[in-house]
Amino acid sequence: MPELFVAMFREEWRMHSTIFGSLGFALFPVLVSAITFMGSAMIPYLEAVIPGGTLSLVVHLQFLLLGVMVGGFGLLGQEVMNRRFGQASLLAYSSRSLPISDRRIFTTFVIKDTVYYFLLWVLPFIAGVTFGIPLSGLSLSFVGLITVTLTLSFLFGLSIVFLLSMLYAKSPALLALVLSGVILIAAVIVWLQIAGMVYLFPPYALYRDFSPLVFLYSVLAIAILFSVSISGMTLSLSGKERHYPNRYGEIAGWLGWLPAAPLVAKDILDLWRSGAFVGQVLFSFLLPLAVIWVSLSVLSAVLPDVQILFSFAAVAGVIAATMYTWLTEFDSVGTYTFLPLGTPDLIKSKFTSFSVLQVIPVLTMAGTAILSGYAMEAFPAVILAVSVSFYACSVMIYLTGLWPAVMVYNARVLLSSLLMIGPVLLVFIWLSFLDSLYACSAVLLALPTYLLVRIAFRKWASWEKVFF
Amino acid sequence: MNTVIEANGLTRYYGDLAAVDNVSLSVEAGSLFGLLGPNGSGKTTMIRMLTGQVRPSSGKATVLGVDVVKDPVLARVKVGIIPEQETPPSFLTASEYLDFVAKIRKIEGAGEKAQWWFEFLDFADKKDVLCKDLSRGTRQKLMFAQAFLHRPVLALIDEPLINFDPVMQKTVKEYLREYVCDGGTIFLSTHILEVAEEICSDVAILHRGQIVHSGPLAEILARKEKLSEFFLNAVRKDSYA
Repeated sequence: MPELFVAMFREEWRMHSTIFGSLGFALFPVLVSAITFMGSAMIPYLEAVIPGGTLSLVVHLQFLLLGVMVGGFGLLGQEVMNRRFGQASLLAYSSRSLPISDRRIFTTFVIKDTVYYFLLWVLPFIAGVTFGIPLSGLSLSFVGLITVTLTLSFLFGLSIVFLLSMLYAKSPALLALVLSGVILIAAVIVWLQIAGMVYLFPPYALYRDFSPLVFLYSVLAIAILFSVSISGMTLSLSGKERHYPNRYGEIAGWLGWLPAAPLVAKDILDLWRSGAFVGQVLFSFLLPLAVIWVSLSVLSAVLPDVQILFSFAAVAGVIAATMYTWLTEFDSVGTYTFLPLGTPDLIKSKFTSFSVLQVIPVLTMAGTAILSGYAMEAFPAVILAVSVSFYACSVMIYLTGLWPAVMVYNARVLLSSLLMIGPVLLVFIWLSFLDSLYACSAVLLALPTYLLVRIAFRKWASWEKVFF
Repeated sequence: MNTVIEANGLTRYYGDLAAVDNVSLSVEAGSLFGLLGPNGSGKTTMIRMLTGQVRPSSGKATVLGVDVVKDPVLARVKVGIIPEQETPPSFLTASEYLDFVAKIRKIEGAGEKAQWWFEFLDFADKKDVLCKDLSRGTRQKLMFAQAFLHRPVLALIDEPLINFDPVMQKTVKEYLREYVCDGGTIFLSTHILEVAEEICSDVAILHRGQIVHSGPLAEILARKEKLSEFFLNAVRKDSYA
């Protein structure tokens, strides 16, 4: 169905480019390339301290993570279309009036998303590495190899989260059963030495042993995961009536002490009933954190464990900040424009809901510290993670208002967020390396967090959402 | 008579297109004012500007004495609004949605008022259904109920009858008449001329973003002319000009 694919692709492009102009959007992949190009200059220095094999595993894991994040962001659960598009009447909906099956529409949609985000993220990264060959000293054949293996890593991450979210949408028990089965089979394979551990991550196995057979194995693994996911996906484009007892008043009552409690209560019901809450926690938070933990763990040869813990806390803070997008991505502003609410009221409510959700990174970080044998460091690690999370969220609010999921693809927004978050992250990681207790100094981020949110109220009050 | 809506030179551009072009009008308290116009004439943009949902490119408007550009939220506190597209939040039930609106608008005794609306508009059996699963007609009932839940003195309603069956249309039209008799004011945007002819006291015809006629409906009907004929003449005249 190439016509539908092209139309969906064009629609996605226009949705982004309408908001911040074609140039602002077109510069986004250029910026990704430029950052990667500059990063290439670091490779010789990194190789001096990090063994080459470790570095390449970390990079492959990052591409796996990218796939997981893109998949977790866009392709979760039964409400996938709503979450992806809100109530907008886009092709995925209007195609229902055409003689095309829902499954074909959805398959085309998934292919479109995969290609679109590949072009937006993966290709610019590889282009940056290629242009950086004179700085990095990597060979052209090596760049060719990682072009293939990193692309497959991205697709592998995408297909895994897609399959897991499809299973979760069917039944959480089914997801648990399948996950247990996979872990058991993987353990048996490794234990009986049928294959090495590396074959559980086929694209990395291909990197280690580039052969037609391993290539076929990687491609087949991804194709099977995608096929099973698509065949198992049930769409709720047109659903039956779902009944619920009235819980709104009760929840709003419990939360009455919070600012914007009526809106926060609505956010909580939205998250819970859409199936997004558990799905997002699993696929947009815990799964990415697991990949990051593995990535950092392989650096244990060059970093003490306690430093890995604090690096993880800081990065976990940035991942936790994306919880703000959970609250905004499928909540149409059109729902509120006719009520006596201004954009600052909505931002305040989303920020309050975000604060409620921070109990998740608190528990995750405390659990990670205790389980990794650093119970004494749990408190500063939690402070660092949550402070970074609030600060990164305030940067997101300042730069993107109520539309982070769309506005992030503006080159200016991406660059600004990197400049506003990156150095801050490095400073507090460095401080925590000096002394664990210094991580507590991250509470100082409360001041810029407060100021950025206050400024954002004024900045976005006069901004009209483009109705598309 | 009090003027409840006063617009002077309201203009709104979308890119190069003037969706509303230098429109001035006033609406008196106790009237049922119909803003008529073909598709794309600027009716919805006009309502959005009058309720502070969209900022005018130029011009001024006051609603119940509130400058809608300077204080759009206060304007929306005072009025009831039915938007063109019915968009209650997806994952609240109909009953929860009215609770939500009541909390935002700080309405006392909201439960009883909501129950009255469920029964009056005959959708009490749907109050526990998620808004996203409601039919268009039921969503429209819900949007109607939320607009009048706080019993505003002025309601701006955009095509409120379009998804209703004939029985419900009759019920709603009777409600609007009684509401005006009780001292309320309605600003109705529609392109269904039969409805306007039946219930409006005053009409304005908007075409290509400009007012091409404004005045009491009785003046048109006194000429033994049907509103539909008058409307078509007004729009055609402008098209050929």
